[in-house]
Amino acid sequence: MLNAPKLKVIVAEDHGVQRAYMCMLINKLGYETIPAEDGLQALKLICESDAQILISDLNMPNLNGIELTVEIRKLSLDRYVHVIMLTGQDENDIRSKALESGVDDFMPKGMNIAMLTARLRAATRLIHHEKELAERNRILKESNDRIQKDLRSAAIAQRRLLPEIHDDIMGFRVSSAFVPSSFVSGDMFGCFPLSDTKLGFYMVDVSGHGVQASLLSVAIGHLITPEFFGTKAILSDTTIAPAALVTDLNQRFCGFDSDEYFTMFCGIIDKENGHFDYCQAGHPSPYYVTSNGQIQAIGDGGFPVGMLAFADYENHSLTFDPGASLILCSDAAIEAENHANIPFGEDRLQSVAATAPQIGPANIPDQVIDALNNWRSGEPLEDDLTVVAIERI
Amino acid sequence: MIHTTRHNDEITVIRPGVERLTAVNAREFKDEVSTLIEQGAYQLVIDFKDVSFLDSSGLGVLVGILKKVGSRGELTVCSLGASIEQMFRISRMDRVFTSYPNAEIAVQSMSERL
Repeated sequence: MLNAPKLKVIVAEDHGVQRAYMCMLINKLGYETIPAEDGLQALKLICESDAQILISDLNMPNLNGIELTVEIRKLSLDRYVHVIMLTGQDENDIRSKALESGVDDFMPKGMNIAMLTARLRAATRLIHHEKELAERNRILKESNDRIQKDLRSAAIAQRRLLPEIHDDIMGFRVSSAFVPSSFVSGDMFGCFPLSDTKLGFYMVDVSGHGVQASLLSVAIGHLITPEFFGTKAILSDTTIAPAALVTDLNQRFCGFDSDEYFTMFCGIIDKENGHFDYCQAGHPSPYYVTSNGQIQAIGDGGFPVGMLAFADYENHSLTFDPGASLILCSDAAIEAENHANIPFGEDRLQSVAATAPQIGPANIPDQVIDALNNWRSGEPLEDDLTVVAIERI
Repeated sequence: MIHTTRHNDEITVIRPGVERLTAVNAREFKDEVSTLIEQGAYQLVIDFKDVSFLDSSGLGVLVGILKKVGSRGELTVCSLGASIEQMFRISRMDRVFTSYPNAEIAVQSMSERL
């Protein structure tokens, strides 16, 4: 504090002798005074200097003390100006008006040095406090900006992991929507050729959401390459076992001492005969929609992954007909609640999925997002959402 | 957050004390139940009578608590609402947790096994 520059005090007083006397006293107290002859000049000096204290007479030409204060409060300054008003003994009734206009403190005219010292000290304390708060605020804003920037980069990095969907992968049309609840997502999905005839896909939803869940979802995204998927799930030309892939993942992720786990749905579709093998691991059942609009939720459940080491997983299969489609959603869709806390639910989701033959399966992901937006009256989702539609052309 | 009732000095019925057991409060719930377990409460019934919604984080801590009790005792659940029952079914937790229609039956059943 010893080396800190002196705080500037503007002394607005139209009486010359009085003004000079006040300046002298205040300078002696360790401040730097800037004299002003009237309200207008004081206002100009407030704008041009970095003074944070104004001691102003009430009655002055051009702008009086109250008008001056009103003008100061209208300015968009990057600092607060403490206004101490000098009032005569018969001016008590003006005080409430002065307070309303933004005056901070009062002092009787006719300099009482003890009172002047006390008033200036109080103002100085507030200024220092304000400065500390501003500094803390600046540091918080800076670190918040940095975190936001990092999260935006992380979100871009995570999106890069998602498959680049082309119109047609091996005779399948795949479309998707990926909506993190905040920057990064605990969801992940992949879709890729495993051989000349087999398409593999998976969807993963890590428990919880936000950064912690996204760390695991990204790790899973990196782990499940087409090679990894194919090696674990295609045991021979005739033995397709997506459950073996899930079992492998379960063993890998069970070792950690945490309550984190993920749900998963994965499958392999043969493009030639439509044979579709799948494994459901705690994930909501996807919808299989035929070209004539028949719809069924497939799978009757399964243990999540990374939760219980003894969990076993089952292979199931069905025939994926040309023109049919499979609609997969993470649980954010059925759990999304409207303002009356009613969840969107399976029936509503199923009725959106059932429109696939009319609007085209490729439009279903956006249709689900629209339906959820309407359901929540535009409120953002609280959990990460992913919707994938796979149509056999 | 949790409310507990002791039965016959051996069985503790826990009501989570929230309508929604989610990522927001799951950690606090686990910490409080863990304290009970560390104090020697190994026969636990979690009563979901007043809980309408359980999310994936809530389910995660439930399994975490089950592991913590381990072979020292038993953890059962009761009064599951339709949405929690559906979640238990799809994630096969109906094979992991024994579920009862209400706390009275859960306590009665547990005391017969002691």
